[in-house]
Amino acid sequence: MAIALNVVVSLFLLIGLAPLAEGLLRKVKARLHSRQGPPITQPYLDIAKLLMKEDLSPTDNWVWRIAPALALGSTMVLALLTPLGRAPALEGAGDIVVFIYFAALAAVAIILGAFASGNPYGSVGASREMMMLLSVEPVMAISLFVAAYKAHSMTFSGVMANHQFSISLAVAGATFLLALPAQVGKLPFDIAEAEQEIMEGPFIERSGPGLALFKWTLHARMLIFSALLVSVFVPWPYLVNPGLNLLATLGKILLVVVLVGVVDVVNPRLRIDQSMHWYSRVIVWGAVVALLFAIIGA
Amino acid sequence: MSSNGKIGKLRETFGSELLSIQERVPGKVYFEVAPRALAPVCQYLYRELGARFLITTGLDVREERGGFDVAHIFSLDKEQAFVVVTANVAADQPRVEAITPQVPAAAWAERELYDMFGVKAEGHPDPRRLVVSDDWPADLFPLRKDLKYGDWPPRREEAEAEYPFKSPPEGTSTVVIGPFYPVLEEPAQLRLFVDGERIVDCDYRGFYSHRGIEKLGDSMLTYNEIPFVAERICGICGFIHSTCYCETAEEAIGVTVPDRARYIRSIMLELERIHSHPLWLGIAGHILGFDTVLMQAWRIREPIMWLCEKITGNRKTYGMNLIGGVRRDLPKEIHPEILDVLKKIEEEWIAVINAVAGDGTLKARLCGVGVLPEEAAREFAVVGPTARGSNVDIDARVDHPYSAYAELPPKVITHSDCDNWARVIVRLEETVESIRLVRQGLAEMPDGPIMAEVDPNIPAGQWGLCAVEAPRGEAIHAVLTGGENRPARWRVRAPTYPNLQALPYMIKDETIADVPIILGSMDPCFSCTERVEVVSARSGETNVLTQQELLARSREATERLRSGGGRR
Repeated sequence: MAIALNVVVSLFLLIGLAPLAEGLLRKVKARLHSRQGPPITQPYLDIAKLLMKEDLSPTDNWVWRIAPALALGSTMVLALLTPLGRAPALEGAGDIVVFIYFAALAAVAIILGAFASGNPYGSVGASREMMMLLSVEPVMAISLFVAAYKAHSMTFSGVMANHQFSISLAVAGATFLLALPAQVGKLPFDIAEAEQEIMEGPFIERSGPGLALFKWTLHARMLIFSALLVSVFVPWPYLVNPGLNLLATLGKILLVVVLVGVVDVVNPRLRIDQSMHWYSRVIVWGAVVALLFAIIGA
Repeated sequence: MSSNGKIGKLRETFGSELLSIQERVPGKVYFEVAPRALAPVCQYLYRELGARFLITTGLDVREERGGFDVAHIFSLDKEQAFVVVTANVAADQPRVEAITPQVPAAAWAERELYDMFGVKAEGHPDPRRLVVSDDWPADLFPLRKDLKYGDWPPRREEAEAEYPFKSPPEGTSTVVIGPFYPVLEEPAQLRLFVDGERIVDCDYRGFYSHRGIEKLGDSMLTYNEIPFVAERICGICGFIHSTCYCETAEEAIGVTVPDRARYIRSIMLELERIHSHPLWLGIAGHILGFDTVLMQAWRIREPIMWLCEKITGNRKTYGMNLIGGVRRDLPKEIHPEILDVLKKIEEEWIAVINAVAGDGTLKARLCGVGVLPEEAAREFAVVGPTARGSNVDIDARVDHPYSAYAELPPKVITHSDCDNWARVIVRLEETVESIRLVRQGLAEMPDGPIMAEVDPNIPAGQWGLCAVEAPRGEAIHAVLTGGENRPARWRVRAPTYPNLQALPYMIKDETIADVPIILGSMDPCFSCTERVEVVSARSGETNVLTQQELLARSREATERLRSGGGRR
């Protein structure tokens, strides 16, 4: 019964409220642009509109057809594996390693769907998405392993229960934060979609419900990775009351969302080679240093 | 004057080949030469005297004196002079020796000469059609006088032959950008030959929306109707083209413009620059995904548009110019408001300059990208900020003063980095300089009439030639007076014409992701939708769609929708 409740709460907060977070992000961007901006419920309306439209398809390929469902489905599972200031809703179903697998699955669905579309822009976008995945995923994985190593546990509840401030955890948290904009496809790392260069890349052929599911996936990833960041690396204040604890976590997630929004607004887009250099030559070493600190006990 | 010195040298060298020399207006020298001497004289002007090639124009004089005139127009910038070299070629053998092998900047001009007049430039390295559409008949030349306006050939569904695009070099793939692409100002097709991400070479096909304005000007409109068409050549620099036409026609006709009108023109031209540069900066930001720059630059720009509306009645500075002066005054009462707007813009613009100059990510995308070294910039004869960003010190306001710029000389801003970054900095600083010029112009503006009387008996056969520095570079107009209250020839060259010819050089060895911003750094306007096809020459696998296939597919899709089967 408690598990069922946790599942519903996690899905509601991380999937159901994801478009609202996106709406907030848009509002923040608009204010910094000196614009009015759309109402923060606009992403719900966008998704509802797209869901009611017909789904035009450039191909009969089955990979193309299942990709949106696979993306959102895997993201829903991911939401259940995500800590939210407390243990993930389905703690028993998977630990950090399973989380990392599922985190990559949505990106894989985007890539496969784009290649299946046969659109050259889609292919360019997909290969950029792949390169981003390959350079960002190691950063995220190493950062999480640092936390796991420090806590001597591969489960999120173990990591959170044994959290103690240390240099290695602080460095790992910083590298995770730096990987966040790329994880959720925001500037300066929205290279795979790059509207002005390749017209939304992987999603160029998408319309209607397929596009709606992908949009929802991207909105949800924003919340999921923010929740992960604040649960694993920023657990303060340790609140005993589960309700207050959840509220505090949501407040912290909100701050992260706003932060990502501000970074998005004040940066132009990097080129794919520049961002790969940034992650696989610079940031990843930060994560490795954190791991070394953890091993020597700092 | 040293222009006399250089022209004296030209006379000495070519002596008997020069059939006549005219200098009705100081600084505008017209040579007529024998056709065989055309190329050597142009080569001498360019290589020995350091003249800059501007444009070529043809002229159909079969009725008056037989044959076609071909005029290559050069500029001696530091001597403040234009040199026009004309030759008359026989109507039954319309051909001249190409000057492009010696003067590379003439490449498009000579192709256009053939398209419009059927005068062939022999020995041209790339004699393909440039301007006319694929279905245009091979033996019809639009600017010849025997083709009446409106007697266009019927539209043909399929072109006789597909456009002969260059074939990709060995081991490269082709990425086609356009004809419709989000960051091109007009429909244009750029075929990139790439090795991986690196661009090896490219081919260009443009002029998809050629409107035949020159034909309209010398067959349908009257002298004073043309300013209203001229200002619609461009959606941004409208005042530039109407001023350029008016000053050119005034020179040809021999009208002296009142001083106050000259000042008003200069002030309006600078206001246009002040709204154009923020517009461009915003678009450049948008290309890089930096929409904050777009939103803020356009917000800063908006008060200028309101001001222009108050002055001219249009957000765009339209409907002001006529031959002889301007139609609306800038009364004293509006000066404080102009100064207020300028003050606000200056403050905000300096904040923009500081923000842009300190942005590391912007620098990462702009520095060292799209490099056009000084020698190459001179070779391609690029103009405006594209030239000045490559350390080429040219500015029509200083080199060929028009309107009131002899009294209001601007500081010419150059940069020696020769890359996208340099072109950004040049435009940012030019905006501040323009604000200063408007202030100075308002302070020094003399009283008096704003329109001169124009004698309606306009003598035929007189040339006028002017350059006006648009935000993107100099626009060139040439007018030859004719009968029937209209020019016999009205030639226009917009600044993007030479700049675009340097694009293949600038994008060589860069990556595909940099193409939009390199194009953007020259300041064309962007809109339109897109099309990119990729062919892999390595694997021999192709998914380039030819125009016909694309047309067929598009029609098929329409049919599908019509028959109610939207889904596939």
